[in-house]
Amino acid sequence: MSVETLTICGIVILLAPLAGAVLSGVLGPRLLRGSTHWLAIGGVGLAFITSLVLMGQVRGAPPDGISETVSVYNWITNGTDAVFRVEFLIDPLTAVMLITVTGVSLLVVMYSRDYMREHGKPERGYERFFAFLALFVFSMCALVLGGNFLLLYLGWEAVGLCSYLLIGFYYDRPAAAAAAKKAFLVNRVGDFGFGLGILLIFLTFGTIEYGAVFHMVQEGVTGSGDPLATGRVTTIALLLLCGACGKSAQLPLHVWLPDAMEGPSPVSALIHAATMVTAGIYMIARCGAIFTASPFAMTVVAVIGAVTALFAATIAITQTDMKRILAYSTVSQLGYMVLGVGVYAADSAIFHLFTHASFKALLFLAAGSVMHAMGGIIDVRQFGGLRKVLPWTFATFLAGSLALAGFPLFSGFFSKDEIIHHALMVHPILGVVGLVTALLTAFYTFRMVFLAFFGRQRVPEGVHPHESGPWMLVPLVVLSIGAIGAGYVGIGADGGVFHRFLTPVFAHTFAAHSPASAGAHGVPVVEHVGFWAHYGLMIISGAIAFVGIFAAYVLYLKEDWLPGLIRSIAPRAHRILWNKYYVDELYDAGLVEPARQTGRVCVGLDDYLIDGLLWLITAIPRAVGYLARTYQSGMLQGYALTMVVGIAIIVLLVFGA
Amino acid sequence: MPGIVEYLILGAVLFALGLVGFMSRRNLIVIFLSTEVMFQGVVINAVAYGRLHHHMEGQAFALFLLAIAAVEAGLALGLIMLLYRQRDSLDAEAWSLMRG
Amino acid sequence: MTSVTAILLYLVFALGGVGVYLLLPKPGRSQVAAGATVGALALVGLFVVLATQVIVPDTANVFFYLFAAIAVLAASRVVTHPNPIYCAVYFVLVVIAVAALLVLQGAEFLAVALVMIYAGAILVTYLFVIMLAHQGGSPVYDRRSREPAWAVLAGFVLMAAIAGRAVDLPASASPEPVTVTTAGAEGSAVRGTEGNTIAMGEAIMTRYVVALEIAGVLLLIAMVGAIALSQKPVPIERAPGAAKPKPLGQVGREVEPF
Repeated sequence: MSVETLTICGIVILLAPLAGAVLSGVLGPRLLRGSTHWLAIGGVGLAFITSLVLMGQVRGAPPDGISETVSVYNWITNGTDAVFRVEFLIDPLTAVMLITVTGVSLLVVMYSRDYMREHGKPERGYERFFAFLALFVFSMCALVLGGNFLLLYLGWEAVGLCSYLLIGFYYDRPAAAAAAKKAFLVNRVGDFGFGLGILLIFLTFGTIEYGAVFHMVQEGVTGSGDPLATGRVTTIALLLLCGACGKSAQLPLHVWLPDAMEGPSPVSALIHAATMVTAGIYMIARCGAIFTASPFAMTVVAVIGAVTALFAATIAITQTDMKRILAYSTVSQLGYMVLGVGVYAADSAIFHLFTHASFKALLFLAAGSVMHAMGGIIDVRQFGGLRKVLPWTFATFLAGSLALAGFPLFSGFFSKDEIIHHALMVHPILGVVGLVTALLTAFYTFRMVFLAFFGRQRVPEGVHPHESGPWMLVPLVVLSIGAIGAGYVGIGADGGVFHRFLTPVFAHTFAAHSPASAGAHGVPVVEHVGFWAHYGLMIISGAIAFVGIFAAYVLYLKEDWLPGLIRSIAPRAHRILWNKYYVDELYDAGLVEPARQTGRVCVGLDDYLIDGLLWLITAIPRAVGYLARTYQSGMLQGYALTMVVGIAIIVLLVFGA
Repeated sequence: MPGIVEYLILGAVLFALGLVGFMSRRNLIVIFLSTEVMFQGVVINAVAYGRLHHHMEGQAFALFLLAIAAVEAGLALGLIMLLYRQRDSLDAEAWSLMRG
Repeated sequence: MTSVTAILLYLVFALGGVGVYLLLPKPGRSQVAAGATVGALALVGLFVVLATQVIVPDTANVFFYLFAAIAVLAASRVVTHPNPIYCAVYFVLVVIAVAALLVLQGAEFLAVALVMIYAGAILVTYLFVIMLAHQGGSPVYDRRSREPAWAVLAGFVLMAAIAGRAVDLPASASPEPVTVTTAGAEGSAVRGTEGNTIAMGEAIMTRYVVALEIAGVLLLIAMVGAIALSQKPVPIERAPGAAKPKPLGQVGREVEPF
């Protein structure tokens, strides 16, 4: 891979969407209006093509030159030694992420062309939408391409900003504005830990370049040559994990993602399913050297992932808003990915990220198509029997659902299976948690499918569902192909094309430290296990998926009086799940209310203490004036008195008393 | 200054008494009368100093002072009449237009 | 450098200040008796100080004490009496006492001039004005004083300052009254005669003649001013059909041009 080619590819991938965003913002409102989407399509499309070129470059590289850091320019120089450069790290992980990001973004942009229209006319803010979308693509590519922590943080914050802008796209809706604020603030909490982690990295290692830092971690030394304390590495890893929890919506910072569904469906699909929320997992995968150097941190990561997965899945089985169900499903699947990196199966996690991107984006876009058709309603209790009216949407939605549920031979089946497999080997309890979650996943997914598309029509008055146009359907079809077929790149005796591609990235980090690895440290090995251990799990997973789907079928299609019965038997449990374990209320009472009270105290202080102080200060001239006013009484004799006093003083002083 | 100290002190006493009256009385006429008392003190002083230096200058000055005092009295009383007609009161506190 | 005399004088003046303060008109019960007593005491003290510390003992001094006492007491009553007519009359007494003191100093002409002009002319004018502006009964501004304490304090501090300075000077024999021979006038008009009036006449006609003329002009201006000030604007009553008044500034009759 020649440095020049890589540099040019990197710059094009970054600047094409950025140019699209800027031009959309500048030319859109006045000039292009309804054709602004071409600018975004052009920018993101160019980025996608360049990503393919980059992928070709990486695939064609020799095994020892698979990872290349190209420096574009010196950004911040301190004069002496600290230099922060704009540099890209190009390796297989980067290439995979870039293809995922730009590919799904391109499809979402195409989808939005029809989605953001009402009766054929562009909605208000049409141009703004595409500008923000393209800006987001730029930010995500910057995050992924970055070769040091500074660029990572830059992209991290920028995607947070774009998420805020896009969630609050309908800014005159109070719910949307509140959701955007919530997303940004919760992310801020995570980013605070993340920033601290980066600072600690700089303090410990004296540099923030990936290559230098990871090398030093693996050698076990700090920047000044002293041995690296395990406590320090654990602290750094946990702080970085804070950021991942915020961005990837893990416990306890998951609260923003369900509310983020206030944004338009393309936004949910792109940002909150496929790309931005996966930034946390990407970061952990990238910083594998740091995480694997601390077994404690890895355990924490795995536990958080597993617990989040189960937690979100239990909430999802009671929700009635289709996008909310999908949101909790996303949180759950992200939990899976975090669990994956936590059990040293980073390549499986990235594989799941890859497949999840396609089927979750598909599900969100299809849900948006349903919403569009139903005129804005999103409550599944008001859907029913839509498969006859929206055939294409139904077909693609079914494909995505089967993938999500882990139905055998669909993509989700393979990727989820690998994570559970590794989990069972490293932390068996977490593996069991994963299996239970898989059951719940299948259940709630098909609950959603059966309620919306099957059964008798419960459509309310005045709504006439109609199928969507080609701009929306084509991306759906493309994604469903991905949902079905993306899994096949990951199977094979030694992990398939995908895993072989990613092996060099994780060889010295995850694979080397994994307790399940059969090889010694430093030897890149993919474990070979016996028939029953590997295929047995596949059979169990398949069975779980069938059981889940069947349960949903029974409860929501055949005997649909059963859910009511269950709800009446365990009302308390249902209420807890329906209210999302009251986490939001907990945060409100424990964090938000005290903050508001502090604000009120500060206001009181300001009003009484500071203003009072000011009043006192201003009272002095007023008092002096009040006193001095008596000298200007207008009475001649008063003046005469003053004059006499003055003369007496002069006589006394000048002539001596 | 031989032999005139007592006259100087007396002059000071009369002057100060007139000053006290000027500063404390509210009747316009009494205020001007107090001014005349001050004049008496000054006359005594002037004549005493003239005697000291064996010169007529002191007494001549006192004569001209007398003339000025007469002028002043005449004009002051005319003004007092005018003021009295304006406010129908001889109170000095009625005229505090220079307040502030 | 305050000498003992000065300190004694200060004490005496302080006493006098208290007395004058008590004498000033104040609302409520008047403290004239107390004030008079204190004031008299202060005066006695002043004379004691003067006699012992300042003045060279001489038999003529008794006249000084007499007329000084009259002057000071009358002056203090001028400034403190509630009734303005009494003030004016007491002022006449002051003038007479001062004239006597001037005679003691050998300035007879000035003494007579003082009595004639002050007691004769100015005081009569004052009395006329008092009667014109009389407001029956005792108006409020005669019964109260403005800040008596501050006024007394300021006045007496000034008094103490001046007197205290004067007292530091050495005392010796009293100088002689000023006559022609002692006045040093150049070209004495009358030879061989002495007297204060002649000396005064010579002085103001030769050395100070310009001042004399200016004083005369000043008196004329004052007369004109007084007349102008005291004119009352009277509304002009014209008989119906009478000629309209001449415009301002025109002198003489209105004459047609051709």
